[in-house]
Amino acid sequence: MSKLRIAILIVLVLAMLPITASTSAQDKVTIRITTWAGVEEAAELQAIIDEVNASQDAIEIVHEPKPSDYYTVLQTALAGNEAADLMWIDYGHLEWAFDGVYLDISDYIAADDRATADPDDYFPGIWDAGLVEGGTWGLPWIAQPLVLFYNKDIFDEMGVEYPNPDWTWDDFRAAAVAVTNEDHYGFTMQQGWPPPFLWVYSFGGELVSDDLTQAPIDSPEVIDAINFYASMIWNEELCPSEETIAEEGFEAMMRAGRVAMFIGGAADDYERSTEGTVGVSMLPKGATGENTTTAWVAYTAINADTEHPDEAYDAMVMLTEGIQNWKPSPRISHATVEHFVASIPYKADTAADIVAALPYMRSEYKVFPHVGDFMWGVWRNDFVYPVVRGEDTAEALAPDVRILLEDILAQNQ
Amino acid sequence: MGDPGAFNTYYPTLLRYIGLAIVLCLLIYGTYRGLRALGVKPEAATGFSLITPWIAGRIVLTAFPILLSFYLGFTEYNILWDKPKSLQDPLFHYKYALSLKVMKFDADERVSIAALGKLDAEGPRIARYRELDSFTIGDTNYVIGATDPFFFKAVWLTLRYAVFNVPLGLIAALCVALLLNQSVRGIGYWRTLYYLPAVLPAAATALLWWWLFAPKSGLINWGLGQVGIGPMGWFTDKNLVLPSFIIMSTWGVFGANTVILLAGLKNIPPELYEAAAIDGAGTWSKFRRITIPMLSPALFYNLIMGMIAALQLFTQQAFIPTDREDGWFLNWFIYNEAFNSGRMGYASAVGWLTSILIIAITLLVFRSSTAWVFYESSREGEGA
Repeated sequence: MSKLRIAILIVLVLAMLPITASTSAQDKVTIRITTWAGVEEAAELQAIIDEVNASQDAIEIVHEPKPSDYYTVLQTALAGNEAADLMWIDYGHLEWAFDGVYLDISDYIAADDRATADPDDYFPGIWDAGLVEGGTWGLPWIAQPLVLFYNKDIFDEMGVEYPNPDWTWDDFRAAAVAVTNEDHYGFTMQQGWPPPFLWVYSFGGELVSDDLTQAPIDSPEVIDAINFYASMIWNEELCPSEETIAEEGFEAMMRAGRVAMFIGGAADDYERSTEGTVGVSMLPKGATGENTTTAWVAYTAINADTEHPDEAYDAMVMLTEGIQNWKPSPRISHATVEHFVASIPYKADTAADIVAALPYMRSEYKVFPHVGDFMWGVWRNDFVYPVVRGEDTAEALAPDVRILLEDILAQNQ
Repeated sequence: MGDPGAFNTYYPTLLRYIGLAIVLCLLIYGTYRGLRALGVKPEAATGFSLITPWIAGRIVLTAFPILLSFYLGFTEYNILWDKPKSLQDPLFHYKYALSLKVMKFDADERVSIAALGKLDAEGPRIARYRELDSFTIGDTNYVIGATDPFFFKAVWLTLRYAVFNVPLGLIAALCVALLLNQSVRGIGYWRTLYYLPAVLPAAATALLWWWLFAPKSGLINWGLGQVGIGPMGWFTDKNLVLPSFIIMSTWGVFGANTVILLAGLKNIPPELYEAAAIDGAGTWSKFRRITIPMLSPALFYNLIMGMIAALQLFTQQAFIPTDREDGWFLNWFIYNEAFNSGRMGYASAVGWLTSILIIAITLLVFRSSTAWVFYESSREGEGA
């Protein structure tokens, strides 16, 4: 028995040793951040983190990338009280603010005079979209608008004028048909991409009313938008079939020169390896007469259960400043060609067209409780997909789907 | 100590592991002392105390989650919340999952959601009936409405999968076992080859078949193309999702089933075949009257295990995306409700419904076993 006691004592003493060692080794507060960054992106982010860590003596940021199944991992970490102090989230996951996951940083923002924390320096459509449930739940570090990438070689070969901001969607469609032949397609779409709501907004429609009580998807604008969307997807007159996409890969077809036009995020790297053959244009004008585009926005949020909220906030601001000089920034003062090229040097040829699209950005949708059910469970699965697959018409489906969507809104009232 | 920040991040986990080891040691020691104090012999006390970590693990990691999920099925819960919320109607999730209604409709008119109405139950969401299917009796058309049609679709897909996959897997494994039971050259090589699928991870199998079923470059569509059959969208065409999964999974169950059946074949006394041959029995007669009855316990075991596994299909679907409308199996449906829709309470309830379904089917198969499973010991008992 005495041997067992001695053994336990030795283990306990050994376990305590690192505590003394670590506290003496550093006085900084450790702030953990979880991201979805893959290997290359994590290495680039680490360089920014290293700069932040070296720039001050109060905070040590530790990066914990979780590139696989990110949100499931994050959820389980939050449920187990193991989540990091800071976390990357995309716009849709602001919904978790209703579940008390994030720290409201409104007071911090009000008291902070750093430019990174100045709401007036962010594009209003981006900053305002993040004001959910009366709070501010994170700092946006990227807002990349959807733009039109095009392969110049294909347009030259077919003798068709390059896309330009004066195009309407009808011009776009006509050009896509004109550059399609047996070697390449004019455009490409798959279920869910480009997001169908892009055309809804461009055609002047809305998915949900401002007061979050109605879902006017049976409006002529929405019906026209979905019909336009459905008329192009997998239509081999201008787009590859579903089987061809599954075979060759959706994005891979653009990279391989099998597709003339592709709608993607401004940060997509099609220009990186194509040596000037890929151009960028704003999206065509819609019924509103504007080059409406949606932006994919991501935030750094603070875990509501962090033990160091002040340090976590400071770390978030410093890190966000660094990231905004690395990714397409959501800030107005960064909306210059010079800043964009400095952030992403290989986009020197296309930066002017991307920057021109920034003022037309709007958020993808409004965030409210169960917005995932609303957007993906019902709007996409029960409305867009059946129309796209030709199982029903938008006109016939819309009244029923509107009821389902408004049920979701009603349960939040 | 090169990176003190990183070290501090992982240090609490290290400490918890050490703490856990100490607690388990104390548990073993406490169990031993307790049993000895009760007069249990030292050898028995040592044995019991050494299995206490395993028992503790079972209680904490298996029994507790099972009981907790049962409780959660009567609550509204999102794993992001600190605790579940009580439901006004504790049975809401079960009602939401199981409610069906049948209604007449005019064939010339569309059945609107408004016409189908709502379920009269208070819960965290509006339980509105949606069209699940329709049928005609005589001149009258009926529509079946369900508050959660996707649950019923998942049940239906999973049941069809099990009904086709399990017998096919058994028949295929039996055929291979019979071949491997022959005395041919290189039999060890063949046995290894056929056992290989059993040792491959389900994820690797799924990805392998994903490639084989690829619309244009896949081997299967290439082969079909050679005989003039156009490319088929195996996982994208709603009519082909089920056959695709059945083919993929039948291959996956070959190995383990074959080994068990081969062992069963080896245990059949050769005297039985010799006696039958003397009586003039042919090959088919011997197979039907000796091989099948003598192998029936092994077939029964494979049937039970295969049925349970088939009703719990998950891994393959996690790697092969299919459409929710016609291609979600039950476990994938539950996973999505729990983690993507944030409805752990509902997912728990559906999990229990799935368990009840599996138990009911297993019991049915058990009850049927008296009619077709031959146990030598019970037959000997009858003789006595």
